[in-house]
Amino acid sequence: MSGKITRRDAILKGTVLAGFAATGVHLIKKADGQIVWEIDGAKCINSKLGELTAEACDLCTVECVVTQSAVRAVNHHSECGRCYICPAYFKVTSAVDENGLPSEKLCPRDAIERKAIGWVDPEDPANNFYDYIIDEEKCDGCGKCVMECKEPAGLGSIRLEVRHNLCVGCNRCAISTVCPNDALSQLPATAVPEPEPAESESQT
Amino acid sequence: MSPRSSRRRTLRIIYAIFLLTLLWAPAAAPQAIPYERPVEAAPQDEDIGEGYVTPEVQRPLPRSYWLEILDVILLALAMAIAVWIVLSERSRKWVLALTIACLAYFGFYREGCVCPIGSIQNVAVALTDAEYSIPIVVIAMFFLPLLVAIFFGRAFCGGVCPLGAIQELVVLKPVRVPRRLDSALGLLKYVYLGLAIWFALQPAPGHDFVICRFDPFVGFFRQTGFAHMLYIGGAFLVLGMFVGRPYCRYLCPYGGLLAWCSRLAGRGVTITPDKELDCGLCSESCPYGAIEEMRAVRKDCLYCARCFDSCPRGRPLQEAPDE
Amino acid sequence: MKQYRQVLAIEGRFEASINGLAAGPRDQLFAAGDASVKVFDDGGKPLREWTAAKPPLSVAVAGDGSVWAGEAGQVEIFDGEGRRADAWQDVERLGRVTAIGFVEDAVLVADASDRCLRRYSRHGEFLNNIGKNNRMKGFLIPNGSLDFSVDSEGIIHAANPGKHRVERYTAEGELLGHIGRFGGQDPAGFSGCCNPTNVAVIGRDFIYVTEKAGPRAKVYDFDGKLLGIIASKAFDARCKNMDITVDSRGRVWVADTARLSILAFEPEGGGTA
Repeated sequence: MSGKITRRDAILKGTVLAGFAATGVHLIKKADGQIVWEIDGAKCINSKLGELTAEACDLCTVECVVTQSAVRAVNHHSECGRCYICPAYFKVTSAVDENGLPSEKLCPRDAIERKAIGWVDPEDPANNFYDYIIDEEKCDGCGKCVMECKEPAGLGSIRLEVRHNLCVGCNRCAISTVCPNDALSQLPATAVPEPEPAESESQT
Repeated sequence: MSPRSSRRRTLRIIYAIFLLTLLWAPAAAPQAIPYERPVEAAPQDEDIGEGYVTPEVQRPLPRSYWLEILDVILLALAMAIAVWIVLSERSRKWVLALTIACLAYFGFYREGCVCPIGSIQNVAVALTDAEYSIPIVVIAMFFLPLLVAIFFGRAFCGGVCPLGAIQELVVLKPVRVPRRLDSALGLLKYVYLGLAIWFALQPAPGHDFVICRFDPFVGFFRQTGFAHMLYIGGAFLVLGMFVGRPYCRYLCPYGGLLAWCSRLAGRGVTITPDKELDCGLCSESCPYGAIEEMRAVRKDCLYCARCFDSCPRGRPLQEAPDE
Repeated sequence: MKQYRQVLAIEGRFEASINGLAAGPRDQLFAAGDASVKVFDDGGKPLREWTAAKPPLSVAVAGDGSVWAGEAGQVEIFDGEGRRADAWQDVERLGRVTAIGFVEDAVLVADASDRCLRRYSRHGEFLNNIGKNNRMKGFLIPNGSLDFSVDSEGIIHAANPGKHRVERYTAEGELLGHIGRFGGQDPAGFSGCCNPTNVAVIGRDFIYVTEKAGPRAKVYDFDGKLLGIIASKAFDARCKNMDITVDSRGRVWVADTARLSILAFEPEGGGTA
C-alpha cells in the first residue's frame, strides 16, 4: 500500500483527476460569483397581494440564526403614499386622540419615524405629505407594518428584505425551510435589481 | 489484491457515469425577483414640491467577495502547511498549532460556514438542477481537499477541518475499536453521503441540506442553536474523549469521499523511513485505528502526527540534521 | 340607523376590473371595466356593450343620453347606443380620468394624475380647475383614484381620501365645506390611510361613500351625520376603489372590485333613500 505506484494506480488516478477537471470546468461555467438570499415580495405572506391574515407572519424574526434577524422591513419611498395617517405607522384600530390621530403606534419596537414634509399648518396638519422612515437598527423584521401597508389598506411600499451586511449566508437558510410560501431563494448578488428611481408611473 | 482491484473498477465505473451526466446540463442565468404590484400614483417629487427629494432606499452589500476568496486561499494554504508539517517536519506540536489556528478561524470566526462537507450538497444540486447557481468559492472548497487527498491523503482532516479540529482537541483516552466494528461503522459515512445527496436533490424548493441541519458542532461555532443540536454536539464531544473523532471516522460524508481519494495517494504518512521495529508503539498511539501492520492506512489516517512522536526510530529522523 | 339589504348581484360579466358605475335613464346601470362599457337594465340583465378605445376608468351618462367614458389621457363620448361620437384629448389636462360629472352645461372631469377636477364646456373648452388651489396642489389620493358626484343644485361633492373627508365645491372651484373625519374604530369616521375612495350623491339629501380596507358602503346626510351602513360583509376584503352610484329610485349599486361583481342594495322599508 505504501510507496510504489503501479500502472493501474496511475491510470485510475489520471481518470479521477480528469473526472474532477471535467466536473470542475462544467460547474465553473455555470457558476456565479457571490450568491445571496433574497425574499420574493410577491410570495412573502406579509406582502403578497390577496393574502390577508389577521396576524403578520414573523417567521423571519424568529427563525433567523442571527440574533436580531437579518431580515428587516424596508420602505421604498418612491412607492410610498406619504399619507397623513399611515396604517403601518399607526394602529388604525386604536382610539382616536384629541388631535384626530390614532393614539397607538403599530411597531412594537417603535422603529418607524414620521416626519412631515415641509411646513405644517397647525390648523390643518392633514394638509401635508409625511415621510415614514424605518430605523433599521430597531427593526427586527416582524412584518406587522408590511402586512398593514399591503394593498388595499396601503400601497405596499414596505416590504421585508434580507439585509446582506447582516445575513451570514447560510447554506441552508433557516427561514427558507419554514417559510410557508417559499419566499426565500438564493440569487447571484449581481442579479438583484437596484432600487428603482422615483419615476412617474401615473400614465397607466 | 482482488478485492482491491474490483473496488477500483467500481470507482472507475462511478466516475465514468459522473462524466456522462455532465454532458447535458445547460447553464441558465438565474432571474432577479421583480415584485409585481398594481402601479398607483404615489406622490412624486414634483407633486410634493418644495424641493423635496425622495429618500434613497439602502441596499447594503454583502461581505466582500474578496474575503470569500481569501477563505479559499487560506484553506489551500492550511492544507499545504498540514502536508508540509506532517510529511516533512513530522511534528505533532506544529500540527496541534495548526489545528487550533484553523479551529479559531474556520470554526469560530467564520462559524463553520462555508465548509467542504456541506459543499457536497451544493455540487450535487448544481450538477442536476440547471437553474441552481453555485458560487465558484464553493466549487473550490469542494475540490481542493479532494485534490490534496488524491496526492497526499486526508490533509484536510488533520488540522484544517474545524469539525475535526474540535474533536481532535478533546481526545483523552481513546479506546481501540475492534476492527470489524470499525469497518462496519465506517460504512455509515457512505450511507450518510447517499442520504445527503438524495435529500439535497429533492426538487427545489424542497432541497433539504441535512448535512447543514445536522452539523453537530455548528451550534458551538455560532454560540447559538437549537437545544437538541447543542446536546448532540456535546454528546459527540464527550464521546470523542473516549472514541477518537467519531464524527470524522463514522459519519462524515466528505470523509467518505476523502477516504476514496486517499487510496490513490502516492505519498502519505510514513511512520518510519526504513524498517519497523515491530514494537507497536505507533499503533497504540494512534487514536483512530489507522495503523495496520505498522503502516498508516491512508484512507483512515487523519494526519494527526501522533505516531511520529511515539516511534523510537521516527524521532531520530526528526532530529537528524540533514533531513 | 337605516338598514339596507342586498337585492341583486351582477356577476361574471367582467374579467379584469370594474372601474366605474353610473345610473342612466330608465334606471339602467352603466358599468365601465375591462376594455368596454356594459349596460344593464334595472333587473341586472345585460342590454348592450361596446368596446372603448382604451380601458375606461369611469363612466357617466349626460342628460341627453350620451355616455361619457373617462380613460387614461382622453374622454370618449358615445351615444346611447354605443356609437362613438367624439373624443377629447388633452395631454396636459387629462391624465387618468377617474370620474365624470355634469353641472348645468359644463362637463367636469377628475384628473387623478394631477389630483384635481377640471371643468370644460360641452364643446371641450377648458374653463377652470377645482381643488387645485391649495397647499397640497390638489387632492390627496394615495389610493390612486379621484371620485366626485354632483348634487341636484350643482354642488360638487369630491372625496378627499388622504384627509378622510368629502369636500364640497362650487363649479368655479370655491371650497364650501366638508364632512367626515378620521374615525379609527368609530364607524361614523373614515378609517385607514385614505378613505372614502368613492362618493355618490343624489338630490340634496344623502351622500353615499365607499371605503376600502375593511370595505364598506355608508350613507351620510349633508351635515355629515352617519345615517346607515349599507353593507360591509358583502364585499371581498381585498376590494379597493369600489365605485358607487344611485339610481332615481334610491337603489344603490356598488362594485366589488375583487370578485368583479356589482351588488345592488335597497333600504329596508322601501322609499327613496
